[in-house]
Amino acid sequence: MAQLPPLENAPINLIGLRKEAQLDLVEALDSMRGRKLLVLDPKLSGPLTLIVQISLLKEHGVENLSHLSGDPIQSDCTNVIYIVRPHLTLMKLIAAQIQHDKRNQQERQYSLYFMPRRSTACEKVLEAEGVHGGITFGEYRMFPIPFDDDVLSLEHELVLKELQVDGDPTSLWDLALTINNLQSRFGLIPNVKGKGDAAKKVFSIMKKMQEEQALTTPEGQPEIDTLILLDRQVDLVTPMCSQLTYEGLVDEFLNINNGCVELDPAILGGDKKVKVPLNSSDKLYRDLRDLNFGVVGGILREKAASMKQDYTDVKTTNQEFSDLKKFVKKMHALPEMTRHIDISQYLTTFTRKRSFMSRLIMEQTLVEGQEYDICYEYIEEMINKQEPLISVLRLLVILSVTNNGLQKKHFDYFRRELLQSYGWENLFFINDLERAGLLRKQESKSNWLTLKRGLRLVVSDTDDSNPKDISYAFSGYAPLSIRLVQHALHASGWRGIEDMMKLLPGATFEERQGSQQQRRSSFSHRPPSLTNLTTGHQRMPSANNLTDLANNVDGRRALVLVVFIGGVTFAEISALRFLSSQESMKHDVIVLTTKLCNGTSFLQSLQTNPLGG
Amino acid sequence: LLLWEAWAQSKNPVTRQGSPLQGPRIRLIEEAQRLFSHSKEHDFEAKACDEQARLLKIQQELEAKTGKAIFVDTSVSDTIRTCIVLKNHREAQRIRVEFKVPDKRFYWLKVLALAYIKDWDALEKF
Repeated sequence: MAQLPPLENAPINLIGLRKEAQLDLVEALDSMRGRKLLVLDPKLSGPLTLIVQISLLKEHGVENLSHLSGDPIQSDCTNVIYIVRPHLTLMKLIAAQIQHDKRNQQERQYSLYFMPRRSTACEKVLEAEGVHGGITFGEYRMFPIPFDDDVLSLEHELVLKELQVDGDPTSLWDLALTINNLQSRFGLIPNVKGKGDAAKKVFSIMKKMQEEQALTTPEGQPEIDTLILLDRQVDLVTPMCSQLTYEGLVDEFLNINNGCVELDPAILGGDKKVKVPLNSSDKLYRDLRDLNFGVVGGILREKAASMKQDYTDVKTTNQEFSDLKKFVKKMHALPEMTRHIDISQYLTTFTRKRSFMSRLIMEQTLVEGQEYDICYEYIEEMINKQEPLISVLRLLVILSVTNNGLQKKHFDYFRRELLQSYGWENLFFINDLERAGLLRKQESKSNWLTLKRGLRLVVSDTDDSNPKDISYAFSGYAPLSIRLVQHALHASGWRGIEDMMKLLPGATFEERQGSQQQRRSSFSHRPPSLTNLTTGHQRMPSANNLTDLANNVDGRRALVLVVFIGGVTFAEISALRFLSSQESMKHDVIVLTTKLCNGTSFLQSLQTNPLGG
Repeated sequence: LLLWEAWAQSKNPVTRQGSPLQGPRIRLIEEAQRLFSHSKEHDFEAKACDEQARLLKIQQELEAKTGKAIFVDTSVSDTIRTCIVLKNHREAQRIRVEFKVPDKRFYWLKVLALAYIKDWDALEKF
């Protein structure tokens, strides 16, 4: 069982946030007396391990834990609690399990918790299956899951698909609710900036919710100063590029899931798979994660050398006890050290490959936007060699997005090639990519070159070991999304780059949330609404709220909450951390996203399985 | 228009829920093609359906001929490769023509397939 990420160093009280999530879960568990079986949506169990530890579940009578599947329940517990996302397919599975019990005259009590909310459609399915009556329903509120001191995620991987393909905005409501909950904890965020239609929508839902139901904020100065909402649609290029930070590469090749990476025995030695938590509790990792991978090897070597030096010092000279103590402390870091040496060694087996290098060159050529012919040829050859569909698509998507679509001739050609090589069933996949704006037919001229120049997206003289710009995270390409954040935090804000903002898709807005709403709120009563059912905590409305939320007079670093709607990559987070560490920056950054992803998982979330639905 | 498409889409997965009887499946795909061809916009989809229907027919024939159930549900490229691996160059050629496979891709497939069965002589000749 993985440890929970320690959150002591978080700029806001994230431990409290997690506590509350734990309490809510415990409340759900205690709603049933006695021993019980907890059945989890397989998609949720990972994120939940970041909130609670198994021992806590046991304390509250959870006898067994299982994943929801097509098999009947194997347990003698008479109480069953389901915690699932409101998806129709899952309802069918639950119904099947209950029906199986009925046939076998197995009497059980069932309760079903939806995360984050009840869905009528789901209940209708259960009704149709004739099991609705036997279930007690509840909701397990959506919490942003703290992954680290500065990273929160809803871990909702289908946001992009629901939003862009199915046109279902539910996830935006969930996100808005989450941000409002954060505001009720940490104060109304005075400055709000956003780019992209989804961002605009989230903000308007937030405001609407505040009007419908008083948002009560704690007294005192708000802890978060600025909120930046970014729609992933604004920057689809960055997630497609290969991440070149240490953490990013680990994710690209080994897949970081729920803050953990599963390592093969081949990497670490030993004989079974090991799950290694990757967060800032590992001090060495904290130093390494955001660096360009190119320099990680050197730093590890340096650290190892200094340790060796210490070792010889200890052996040869007489040392004070305090020195010895220091040395022993350092030795404690040894297992982490070997682990990271092993991991980076393993990564170099990939990064040294010719195919990896040529891929990087290709990505670079694409974002440079000068010579597309080579890229067409390269991608064509990849298809011919039947390289994995997703890695072909990642390049093709960059090509399409930077070009504002492919020319009809190429578009049809590539679609045909893809179908013929990877099978006809991908027709739906390609169709969905098209709807999500990732792969499409060119309709007008692209403005990528203007953007590239205006926002300095390609920086030629990057020194990876001593970076001066966020472009280090991709060895030359400055991620568009983070460049926007950088400008937003600049004194002139986005007004300074108005021309550029106009070229990017979706609405742009910069607003201030005043105290006026709050004054109104203190008199309005709370109408019974969805959140009221779910929220456990309610604060007394504070009548005399701050009127002046303007500047931080006390010289404290302002805190910025950056929200990525539709997912964010590790390299982007690294770039943000880099930004906030720059001297000229007076901001600390917290990231909230719907999903931590990389290009591959990003595209996979769109890949529908026609068989499984 | 979208309705047509949605309908065809929902139909297609059903067809894919692989009964070994390929006959009805092909008919359903042809039906989907007919629906797609109602509008100009879905020209591409219509063609894709048409190709798939033809591919399934060929794959069925191949399975009957070779007695191996390895063709159905693979892509055009996969089918060509399997043919070459089985040293059935005539069929491979036929599929190449039937689906207008570009030379480049065909040669890649051939090289990979020949390397796979370690047929170095053929690789040399070619």
